[in-house]
Amino acid sequence: MTSLLKLQRLRKSYGERRLLDLDGLEIETGHAYAVTGGNGAGKSTLLRILAGLEPGEIAGFGFRGVPLTHGRLPDDVRHDIVYVHQHPYLFHTSVAHNIGYGLAARGVHGTERGRLVEEAIAWAGVGHLRGAPPAKLSGGEKQRVALARAKVLKPRLFLLDEPTASLDGEARGQVIALIRQLVQDNSSLLIACHDRELIELPGMRRFHLESGRLLEA
Amino acid sequence: MSLLDATGAAFRLLFGGDPELWGIVFVSLKVALLGLALAAPLGVVLGYLLAMHRFPGRRTLVVLTQSLLAFPTVVVGLVLYMLLSRQGPLGSFALLFTQDAMILGQAILAFPILVAYTLSAVQGADPRAHETAVSLGARPLRAALTTLNETRFAVLAGVINGFGRAISEVGCALMIGGNIAGVTRNITTAIALETSKGEFAQGIALGMVLVVLALGVNVAMAVLQGEGGMK
Repeated sequence: MTSLLKLQRLRKSYGERRLLDLDGLEIETGHAYAVTGGNGAGKSTLLRILAGLEPGEIAGFGFRGVPLTHGRLPDDVRHDIVYVHQHPYLFHTSVAHNIGYGLAARGVHGTERGRLVEEAIAWAGVGHLRGAPPAKLSGGEKQRVALARAKVLKPRLFLLDEPTASLDGEARGQVIALIRQLVQDNSSLLIACHDRELIELPGMRRFHLESGRLLEA
Repeated sequence: MSLLDATGAAFRLLFGGDPELWGIVFVSLKVALLGLALAAPLGVVLGYLLAMHRFPGRRTLVVLTQSLLAFPTVVVGLVLYMLLSRQGPLGSFALLFTQDAMILGQAILAFPILVAYTLSAVQGADPRAHETAVSLGARPLRAALTTLNETRFAVLAGVINGFGRAISEVGCALMIGGNIAGVTRNITTAIALETSKGEFAQGIALGMVLVVLALGVNVAMAVLQGEGGMK
């Protein structure tokens, strides 16, 4: 077993209310984890803290065996973790620009970026949306573009926040199919979700958040 | 000269290509645009920083900027006059009664508008825009440019509004420009002068140019707001 991310003692409070009080959390390389829990249990907050988008009181944080001072993650670690919102935000440019955004931020340009973007577009099955204004896409389409935008970066850890929430029917099935592929490809994922079909994907491990505590289910 | 005669003469000046009249228009446009070019980068950067960061003195800066929005242009002109006059602390630069002084004055007038519009635009932006940029690996500068690009219509509305204030103000331009013919005489100072002399034709002609410019600014604002609404 190779440890990808190891967290010791995480606390998060809003005023008097303690939302998270975790003794620890360990994520192994190449495994997918579902974090379940009721509404307001702190699933999204946990993911946002791990993504560096929200502060939390953390006693120790290690990534790939290297201890880090959380709060200011070095670039190489920031580039290894990609967070996808429950309702992904797409920049008001184009689908291809959105998918290539992180590559540009990493200094990947020209034909190489174009090739990788095309691969990601094909993977997510969003080629027909190439000319559509991103703001006009449906929730499921936005989620697929956001997954392609994350996957193209080949992160070591995907943090997916309720990826199928408010989706149903075909759109939900398409998103689950993409996540199933990520799991089958041995990507490391931490997914906040309620969706039973996602939780029961083959190989999915499960954590349950209750009263701020993380229980391995 | 009756109002009708003056209006007729104004049209003849406008369409006859009167070099003095169009020279005045050129000075106005040059000074306002350069003032805007000076103020825009600083105003947008300060507006962004005020919207995105919490730091000591932030509240004071916001209040100060908002106060500047309501500052009479003639007071800005007075302060600048005192700074730039020969006895003033900046007197050695010999800027008083030059176009450079007018550019500085109009930059100061446009600056709080740019800050206020950018602050409001970025504060009102979807926080996921910046978070997404950061999560995808953007460094602070790229994330800032991305956020500004996402709010570009509102920020550009600030730029256009800033131009509107610069091109239409008279108090500051008159005080620190001195209304020197062929040098610092712009549309608004020329209208004030010509009217006081009872020479209405040039004043009406310049007023028409100013109205067309103001209409252009408002049309541009409406188009931008429409574009923003299309997002």
